[in-house]
Amino acid sequence: MAELFVYTRCEFAKLKRKPLFLVLAASSVLLPLAFALFLSDPPDSETAVIQSMATMIQLSAYLVLIPAVAVLASHLLFAEQDYDTMKNLACVPVGRGMLAVCKLLVLLLFAVLFMAAGALVTLFLLLCQGWEPAGYWPLFAVCLGQGVLMWAGALPCILLVVLLNKSYILSVIITFFYTMVNYIVPTALPGLTAVPLGFNAGTLIPGALSLRWYTPFLSPGEQPPLVQMILEHAVSTPAAFGISALEAVFWTALIAWAYRRQEA
Amino acid sequence: MDPKEVFMKYIIETKGLTKRYGEQHSVADLSLHVRPGRIYGLLGRNGAGKTTTMRMLLGLTRPSAGSIRIFGQPMPDKARSVLPRTGSLIESPGFYPNLTGSENLRIFAILRRLPQPEQAIHAALDMVSLPYRDKKLFSQYSLGMKQRLAIALAIMHDPELLILDEPINGLDPIGIAEVRQFIRSLCEERGKTILISSHILSEIALLADDIGIIDQGVLLEEESLQQLEQKNGRYLHFTVSDARAAARLLYTRLGVQDLQLVNAQELTVPGDRLDAGRAVEAFVQAGLTVRDAHLCEDTLEDYFKRVTGGEGIG
Repeated sequence: MAELFVYTRCEFAKLKRKPLFLVLAASSVLLPLAFALFLSDPPDSETAVIQSMATMIQLSAYLVLIPAVAVLASHLLFAEQDYDTMKNLACVPVGRGMLAVCKLLVLLLFAVLFMAAGALVTLFLLLCQGWEPAGYWPLFAVCLGQGVLMWAGALPCILLVVLLNKSYILSVIITFFYTMVNYIVPTALPGLTAVPLGFNAGTLIPGALSLRWYTPFLSPGEQPPLVQMILEHAVSTPAAFGISALEAVFWTALIAWAYRRQEA
Repeated sequence: MDPKEVFMKYIIETKGLTKRYGEQHSVADLSLHVRPGRIYGLLGRNGAGKTTTMRMLLGLTRPSAGSIRIFGQPMPDKARSVLPRTGSLIESPGFYPNLTGSENLRIFAILRRLPQPEQAIHAALDMVSLPYRDKKLFSQYSLGMKQRLAIALAIMHDPELLILDEPINGLDPIGIAEVRQFIRSLCEERGKTILISSHILSEIALLADDIGIIDQGVLLEEESLQQLEQKNGRYLHFTVSDARAAARLLYTRLGVQDLQLVNAQELTVPGDRLDAGRAVEAFVQAGLTVRDAHLCEDTLEDYFKRVTGGEGIG
């Protein structure tokens, strides 16, 4: 455990002055500011909170966080190869598998902090506009949870990036398609994803599972038929996080295995 | 140090170490012996297998065959206990370009769990004449500074054994002299055992106590520098008006049987037992003109050429 902490601390140290990391970190703050411009005038504080947080949970998480995690992962996982530092680490000795796990842990913390920063900026904007933060904090927790689910959801994409061994163009194409599948399929094909839990697209596609988890938190009262359909197959918090945890363990093990195969 | 290690004959010992890439042997049946408290110079041309050997010693590359023992422990099985006692510099210096030298070393100091990381970083940078907490990023370093930082990393945790692959690469002449002196002091004053590789023959001759000559993956010779110097060929070289007549004279008057005609005017006599004065006297008495007579000695480079059967190096 101490080893894990030490390695993770060092992984964070390596991100210092990294332009990519700084841009992604800045986007967590700037995106909610941009989203605020497109929000319609809400009738009350509760609606204002739901509207702005829904944008955060849906747009920021799906369209920005998944690709951001995948791109940052490619950067982190290939830093040793790019800078020829693996030989130095291996001579400490640092295990490659453990190193990969720590890099994924850094990404998990990044994902959660990304969502937390966005949610706090949203709160700041709400307060500036004079709205009461009615029902904000439960949705703040949903935001953090969404960070965890999106991280777990990005792991298959990260595995492909590792297996492709730094073919940037292919990695970007894969990340783009993966993001689109996670964002579009659950909303465009509710018949495919709004289904009971099981070995199906609604459970296995991270975006679909996440949609079925957070929708009840953002949908009080009467809802349109599409949302109603998703609500009928809503997933409880333990089920959503339990499934994601299992998937995360599976994908992390595969990523660590693929990472270990590369020679120092 | 384990009490058993006090009497250990070799800090590094390999038996039949082999690395194959497909059909090609990068290192073949290499048996290396590095004695404690000495500098072992692994000498060979570029591509001779020096780096591959060092990578196998450090567990960075898995051998195809053979065994490695470092501090008497099998590698790579006991890497977790051997590597913390070993410092290394393999190939070009590898560091994070977005960090300063101190920040780079700090990462490794934390990973190595050094009790006083800042002191260790400061001391290591001082030893290689690099500034502590300088704002310059690694990406802005010159090649020489990068090499110095890599040496600082290798010594930061005060290891008993240093494995240095071409440590003077990229250094200027003054830097080379400094690093040479520094490596010698590590061995002489602090009792470190050092395995150093180079393709620069003069450097190995100046630094090493023991020398291994590697060529095409095969360790051709392994001797102390003293032994090698003794083995180096000595011979008398004469330039005379008629080499054939001189050879006859040496044979009939002085009983020299083993000699070599270089051309019509030059001849050599192996060894240094023949009295050159008597030989010259005999030549002059026989009416030959003697233009030159001197004792020659093979350099390490000549020896290297002879052993490897090819051209010399640096």
